[in-house]
Amino acid sequence: MLELRSVSKHFSGIPAVDDVSFSARPGEVTGYLGPNGSGKSTTMKMITGLIEMTSGHIFFQGKPIQDDLISYKRRMGYVPEEPYLYTHLSGAEYLTMVAQLRNLPARESSERIDGLLRLLTLYDDRHASISGYSKGMRQKVLIAAALMHNPELVLLDEPFSGLDVGSALVLRSLIQELAARGKVVLFSSHELDTVERVCSRVIILHRGKLVADDSIANLRSLMELPTLEQIFSQLVVEQNTESMARQIADLIHA
Amino acid sequence: MRKLAELLPLQFRVLYRQFLLRVVDLEALSVHADIPRFLGQFASVLIFISVIGAIGPIMSHEALRAAPEAALSFAWRGEQSLISGMMLVVGLIAVICWDSTFPDRRDVMVLSPLPVAPHMILLAKVAASAALLGLAIVTLNFATGIAWPLLLGSQHDSNWGFFQSLAAYWFTMIAASVFLFCSVLTVQGFTALLLPRRLFLRLSAILQIAAFGLFLGVYFLQPSIPSLPEMAAPENHCFLAWSPSFWFFALFNQLNGSLPADLGWIASRAWIGLGIVVSGATASLLLCYLRTMKKTVEEPDLVPGARGWHWTPRFGSALQTAIVLFSFRSMTRSRQHRLASAFYLALVFSIALSWLRSDLSSAWPRPLTPEFLIPTFMMMSFAVFGLRGVFSLPISLTANWVWRLTQLRAPEEYIAATRRFLFYFAVIPVWLISALQSLSFTPRHHVAAHLAVLALVGWILAELSLLGFYKVPFTCSYLPGKVHAQVMIGVFLILALAVALSLAELEMLAFNDPFRYVCMIGILGAAALGLCALNRHRAKSAVLYFEELSPEAITTLGLVWLPPSGSRAGPSVRPHN
Repeated sequence: MLELRSVSKHFSGIPAVDDVSFSARPGEVTGYLGPNGSGKSTTMKMITGLIEMTSGHIFFQGKPIQDDLISYKRRMGYVPEEPYLYTHLSGAEYLTMVAQLRNLPARESSERIDGLLRLLTLYDDRHASISGYSKGMRQKVLIAAALMHNPELVLLDEPFSGLDVGSALVLRSLIQELAARGKVVLFSSHELDTVERVCSRVIILHRGKLVADDSIANLRSLMELPTLEQIFSQLVVEQNTESMARQIADLIHA
Repeated sequence: MRKLAELLPLQFRVLYRQFLLRVVDLEALSVHADIPRFLGQFASVLIFISVIGAIGPIMSHEALRAAPEAALSFAWRGEQSLISGMMLVVGLIAVICWDSTFPDRRDVMVLSPLPVAPHMILLAKVAASAALLGLAIVTLNFATGIAWPLLLGSQHDSNWGFFQSLAAYWFTMIAASVFLFCSVLTVQGFTALLLPRRLFLRLSAILQIAAFGLFLGVYFLQPSIPSLPEMAAPENHCFLAWSPSFWFFALFNQLNGSLPADLGWIASRAWIGLGIVVSGATASLLLCYLRTMKKTVEEPDLVPGARGWHWTPRFGSALQTAIVLFSFRSMTRSRQHRLASAFYLALVFSIALSWLRSDLSSAWPRPLTPEFLIPTFMMMSFAVFGLRGVFSLPISLTANWVWRLTQLRAPEEYIAATRRFLFYFAVIPVWLISALQSLSFTPRHHVAAHLAVLALVGWILAELSLLGFYKVPFTCSYLPGKVHAQVMIGVFLILALAVALSLAELEMLAFNDPFRYVCMIGILGAAALGLCALNRHRAKSAVLYFEELSPEAITTLGLVWLPPSGSRAGPSVRPHN
């Protein structure tokens, strides 16, 4: 189980994540939602160990992750929000490099890489430079790199970004399949429809603070709203969206 | 000047400014690179070279006046050296600015949707390239452009001799530079037009390095012709007919009024060559802007990888293989890194080539002298420190997160992998080149003894360059505009030369005294082992550092927001995110 206790992150004294506590359990997909700038990606980076917390604790399987960060990294796979890759390498070279850095046995990793590239329909372009890959192809490379070592904890930050419909449907099923196989899956996305279909629980963040942490069904009945989109709007959307759209149209028209 | 510039169309001025900063694509080297400052440093290095080149004619001006024969011979060699030097510098600039005069994908995708005519982009690009070329011509001839015409003008009978030499000098330098730059543009332009874009993109990188090697090879291997009778000799005509630097040398003398009429055909080649390449460059540029821009948009983004067998060698453990391969690929596939490493390799190869030239012109085998020993030490220092310098340039700071996420082993293993990279791509190649070149020297046991010393020196240099380096190559940041390049290069050259001279002297003494040689090898071996042990020990407690872009910081600027006039509310502070 992944557990965050009173986690905060301040940038130059300004809180980006403020006293956030939640847990993500194995066997279920936990959705992590919030508008832009709410602190989702910052939390994700703290969970991966890429940035340090200002205060609080993160536990995985009951142990603070900082106690043995290397062992924790071995068991974690991460798909970042932005597809930052070494674009001078080919897809196959990048994945091989990640496998070598993770110290996976050469034969096993080679088979896994080939298999992942085939299943993610990247095999024909595996020797082409990543600089020529589309956003969706880059996303697939990141997904393959995050999963090739069979992690126990899967952190997905906007994993559907740039994916075509077919690949998005595969990924949606894959996320559920990973959870069904007992992995802890924390999934951040702006696609509320997908979150509603995939996640059993959601955590909603607004201005760095936790505003909801419950199952979608409970939230629906508590707030008496039929969809996650409406729940989300009620909790975090402050402006009148229709009025704002009208103002923009008026401005460019003038 | 400012008012004159304002007469130009606004689009041209905006594009020109952008292209000028991108003409040398340095922003990829560092997110904070100060490009104008870097160009200033580049200019100051050229001015420094020019000042050094002007010392000779100024110092010997009076002496040469008294001895016209000696003056002629001195001027003859000086002119050849200045013209070939100018052509080398312009050639290197053309290599550095490779493709920058042609529209790239970024230009096409950004500018095509905007109401900017292709000819405006073309003019701005040409103006930006011309500005850099102009900067190089003016700064490299800053002092020599006055000193040499002064010396040559004094050989004339008329009072206007200085002005004639001055005009001849500057015209020749500009013409030679334009010739070389336009030759490169013509080759690039027609390659882009004739080949499918995918093939062109692949070939372009190879052409760039080939051009680099060609310019250096010609500069270092081209023989000089020390006198007029030798130039007029029929056996040299074939060489002169195909050597552009001698065409412009003849052109200079023609304009200066010092070329015999029977050698006028060499100068004619300069005029013809200039005409051909200027027309070729103009035609290829025009065609590229009319055709290539459209082609760039139509071509698919994805360039298929090479087909066939993809075999990757192993360089030790999985981590060592990953780091060595990543470093090698970064060095060879990124244009910036390729050029930066080519600069240092050029120093190594120029030493090797000048050596080869002297090898070819002398009898085999030759006795071992310090002249053989010094260049090997110099090559080793340039290769090791050059490679160390190149891997300080980051390839992609934003992608460094993957190293941090996969850092599952101790820092010393990463540093061992970096050491391995230095050995495979600097120490061993230089040692092999030296071993090959040493075949022409005797006695063989002295050659073998030197190669043993060279191997130890290479190891020491590799360990020295790893002191305090707790990073993975190509993942750290470097600020070209922040470094006093001319000072660093100067200090490094002096140090490398001083160390090479001392080592060669000590080695020559040791060759004749076995005890001294054993002591020398012992000291060098102990130094190498000691440094290696120190690096390993320090690496155990080191924290591996992966530089990334600055963290997202939300900073309060403290701007005071004043309410609109008429409002009674007092000023309030509005944080700006």
